[in-house]
Amino acid sequence: MRKKELKLVVTFHTTADAMAMEKVCGEHRVPGRLIPVPRSISAGCGLAWCAPPEAREEVLEIMAEKGIEQEALHECMV
Amino acid sequence: MNLSDSKKKLALAGVICGIVAACLAYFGNPANMAFCIACFIRDTAGALGMHSAEAVQYARPEIIGLVLGAFLISVATKEYRSTAGSSPMVRFVLGMVLAIGSLVFLGCPLRMIIRMSAGDLNAWVALIGFVLGVGTGVIALKKGFSLGRAHLTNRVSGGVLPVLMLGVLVLALGTTLLKSSTSGPGSMHAPILLSLIGGLIFGAAAQKSRMCFAGSIRDVILMRNFDLLTIIGGFFVVMLVFNAVTGRFTLAFDTPGVIAHSEHLWNILGMYAVGFAAVLAGGCPLRQLILAGQGSSDSAVTVLGMFAGAAAAHNFGLAASGTALDAETQEIVAGAVPMNGKAAVILCILVCFVIAFTNKRSEGK
Repeated sequence: MRKKELKLVVTFHTTADAMAMEKVCGEHRVPGRLIPVPRSISAGCGLAWCAPPEAREEVLEIMAEKGIEQEALHECMV
Repeated sequence: MNLSDSKKKLALAGVICGIVAACLAYFGNPANMAFCIACFIRDTAGALGMHSAEAVQYARPEIIGLVLGAFLISVATKEYRSTAGSSPMVRFVLGMVLAIGSLVFLGCPLRMIIRMSAGDLNAWVALIGFVLGVGTGVIALKKGFSLGRAHLTNRVSGGVLPVLMLGVLVLALGTTLLKSSTSGPGSMHAPILLSLIGGLIFGAAAQKSRMCFAGSIRDVILMRNFDLLTIIGGFFVVMLVFNAVTGRFTLAFDTPGVIAHSEHLWNILGMYAVGFAAVLAGGCPLRQLILAGQGSSDSAVTVLGMFAGAAAAHNFGLAASGTALDAETQEIVAGAVPMNGKAAVILCILVCFVIAFTNKRSEGK
């Protein structure tokens, strides 16, 4: 089984925001991947962006630049 | 107990739900229909007088229990969030599509899995349509589909549907106002208390595990994530064992008495509409009830849409009929989808495409 690691998890208001995040991060080589929102964070079933904690500034920068609004930022084991 | 921090526990959640469904089938729910959201909403709509198909009228305590189970567990674990405002009328229409597509196939995705576990090959055929429908929904998501964000709202708003469900339960238990079938599927049911307890347990387990049939396939297609599919796997295995042990497993297409038909194209298209609409609405019929229970007014509106769709399916002759054995001639009479039902499914799919490609994330900005 894959070992869980501490990750930066960004949640969004809509699935479309998460999809937009995947697109712009792919285009600008910002590290991370789409994951289902961890159950420890939410009872909802949306998508979240999961990135290494050290990429925090990079992630926030691209979101501000592209106008992608976050719901919340978490650091948790994923 | 945390039912979601490992695949084993997720499978356990599916096993719990499977045991509930198996018990209800054993104690009287219709054969091969142990726990079907679309069928049970249709029966409840009939009990409330929303349609007049006399064979399918019964206020199913399972539906009430699901909503109340999700409501109670979410309040108890502080996960209840009253939210609203994400394109409610579009969701109402998607709810209608979920019900109509399901009643053309004769079952929601939950019953599709139950039918698959009983060897009904029609359900395996329908699975093709369901996966394609979810896949089409995923394409829409990738193209920027969005119904807009929901906002936190007055705490009472999210509790309205659970209270209405409680009201239906009171009417069912304490009055003779509700209609109740004396023959047909609506007359077949487990004892009320058992159905209610089953619904409560199922609802709580589904809320904790986030069980969703459309979501499980969406996650596999989109992220190669198998967490939600693990729950379905646990559920399927329990029902497979139950059907095998109790002699209910029949590997065939035209099996009389299981409320299914073998019009393959319409099985596929019916579940295609359901899969597509479920991704657009953010969850399958079961998940809509659970989300409504934990405070989403948007999902509550989708549930109302399912009630309207179920009523329309019987008022306007859209619902399919199941293959049956003629009691007099002992001949098998094949189930069929009426012309109205075929037209309705085509219309539902067109509506899904219009919704999917006209509601974009950028438009709301």
